[in-house]
Amino acid sequence: MEEETFDPELICSIFKLVWSRRATERNESIEVVDVEVGDRTKKNRQTTANSNALKLSCELIRIFVTEAVQRSGMIAEAEGINKIEPTHLERVLPQLLLDF
Amino acid sequence: MDGGDVDGGVGGGGGIEKDEEAEERTELLRDRFRLSVISIANAEAKKLDMEASEPVVACVADLAFKYTEQLARDVELFAQHAGRKSVNMEDIILSAHRNKHLTGLLRSFSQELKGKGPQTERKRKKSSKKEDKAIPS
Repeated sequence: MEEETFDPELICSIFKLVWSRRATERNESIEVVDVEVGDRTKKNRQTTANSNALKLSCELIRIFVTEAVQRSGMIAEAEGINKIEPTHLERVLPQLLLDF
Repeated sequence: MDGGDVDGGVGGGGGIEKDEEAEERTELLRDRFRLSVISIANAEAKKLDMEASEPVVACVADLAFKYTEQLARDVELFAQHAGRKSVNMEDIILSAHRNKHLTGLLRSFSQELKGKGPQTERKRKKSSKKEDKAIPS
């Protein structure tokens, strides 16, 4: 069975966006970014992730999604329904968020 | 789009335009992300012989996106704490530290990624069942 998963590039882009947002916040409070080097100054080089870390992140987020669906599915099944509704997700949400 | 090219140009200020651009990019990524979640969630529901209703999938997509953003912040902090600029697999595994089972799953996955090559000095403490799904069925 082919496993569906996230595109590492997509996850990478999201990470980079978050990191550059944080870098901007930090720069505004610490010092002005060196104009010549843009956002790659010696002190404030942007965070990066290696490719295995990205693949692992894809797996982690994929597990998050599958857990959410599986756990909600179990509640729906217990009710004898075969369609997962928001109320089922609501039931499992607290524990899901604690687990991740 | 006024303000022109913001990337790598003026440092410091130019705050508002940069924010708007970042927001647009976020929305774009959020949409692409949502598409992936939709396909993964529906495939998963199908495996259970079930169907996931639209609001459920939309909600899971939003949650997962927020989770991803939080994950980015966490692993950045871990890498920085270790004196690194680059996030590696250990940082990702560390982010799951509250859930032993999840940690085990990630560790085995990471072993696979490292390849059949040399086992690292970190021995697998937990018995890692590679095909194990998280839910105790």
